[in-house]
Amino acid sequence: MSDGLVEVGPATEFEDGDHAIVEVGRAEVGVVRADGEFYALRNQCPHDGGPVCKGIVQRELLGEFTGTGERVEQYYGEECIISCPWHGWSFELETGTHIGDERIQLPMYDVVVEDGIVYVDTGE
Amino acid sequence: MIDAARERIIDCDWHYQDSFKEVAAYMPEPWRTKYKHSNWDDAGVKQNLSSFFPTSTGDRQNYGKVVREHSNYPDEPEEPERVREGMDFLDIDVSLQISHLILAMGGVNADDKRVQAFTKGYVEYMLEEVLDPDDGVYGLAPMPYSDVEASLDILDRIEDEEAYVGACFVTAGASPPLGSRKYDPIYERCEDLDLPVVYHTGGSGLDEYVRAGYQEMIETHTLGFLESNMSQIVSVACQGIPEKYPDLDIVFMESGVTYIPGLISRLDEEYLKRPEEAPLLDTRPSEYITDFYFGTQPLEISARNELLELCFDMIGTDRLLYASDYPHWDFDSPSIINDLPMLDDDDRRAILAGNAEGVFGL
Repeated sequence: MSDGLVEVGPATEFEDGDHAIVEVGRAEVGVVRADGEFYALRNQCPHDGGPVCKGIVQRELLGEFTGTGERVEQYYGEECIISCPWHGWSFELETGTHIGDERIQLPMYDVVVEDGIVYVDTGE
Repeated sequence: MIDAARERIIDCDWHYQDSFKEVAAYMPEPWRTKYKHSNWDDAGVKQNLSSFFPTSTGDRQNYGKVVREHSNYPDEPEEPERVREGMDFLDIDVSLQISHLILAMGGVNADDKRVQAFTKGYVEYMLEEVLDPDDGVYGLAPMPYSDVEASLDILDRIEDEEAYVGACFVTAGASPPLGSRKYDPIYERCEDLDLPVVYHTGGSGLDEYVRAGYQEMIETHTLGFLESNMSQIVSVACQGIPEKYPDLDIVFMESGVTYIPGLISRLDEEYLKRPEEAPLLDTRPSEYITDFYFGTQPLEISARNELLELCFDMIGTDRLLYASDYPHWDFDSPSIINDLPMLDDDDRRAILAGNAEGVFGL
């Protein structure tokens, strides 16, 4: 570690949906690529401690009320989410917020890519 | 808080992922041959049953979100050694295996002996291939309770088998409900054998639970799993099963705990107005129901702590049994119990193992 950066690996080794797990201090952190962007989140689901960053990455399924008596229109939005494989608790990758209750928050970390290498920036 | 890794933990509800392919070899004819040549094989394991096109209100694995690292569920039949792997993952010392496929028995309408044949084969298959008391893997024998004689045959079969520590009644679809005198001989025999009766909720008929037209599994699973147990608790209590068979241990599995205070409060209110309709009872139904044991899963840990505390107080922490329900989608880890702030360490040990030791003689 230098300058508060924890090395994850070459950016080219990640496809969308891939993850890598690194130790940041005493915490296990998952680095996930979605839509070409990297996100880092605590790899510990606030529900039961499951490995949330090892879960499926997909766009969030949304529903819209389009009129009285109409079927709720469901569609996949822009937001990418990750779901804990133990029970399905799901979080926005941008914010770490639970998609069903914004009071539930997964700790997030900054990610930087320098010279093609992905790092978690601990801010230290 | 206790160090759960150093404590004994007994899991009162684990689902062995039985498949027709494996169990058929142990079933009596003509079912052995019929199933062997059917296309049912792993149906049920994959939970698609007869669905050419998916008709369910929801996919249990939540459309790919939920996966199981330590079980073949839900894609393939289980392998016996994976039970121990899963127990190690959850840090469980003893598990009680409950058939996965039998949960659908309430949906069988055919006037033949398929359920009897399946339960008979299942009991043999599990004894032969899976259960291993020396390694902490015990079983509950499924009761084909609509056929009392067949149920008694199974109880005779397991009488001297250490591996079976209870009789399992799937509550979904039981008609008449399980307090009916029709089932008295099964209860009488269980009491004689000192075998607890474990009522386990189930998903058969879930998609059109009571009424057709629900849209999603969040609706049908929330309602159906709860009501299947509620209906039988009311029937068993009001028809006086605990008075008829006072030494019979009664367990209800897999509906959490928060429904119980509401149900017994309502039932008591009715009882005080019309006690003649439950003439075998000497006191309020709640007094009997809180003598039952309850599996904790899926524990409503997102509820307010004071509600859970009230539930535990009304039921009694000496009546709660830790259950994982692994590998199903809403399983509970032992930490679910250990992390509860309102319990002391004696309560934690009792719920995680001590109460089950008493009920099941483990």
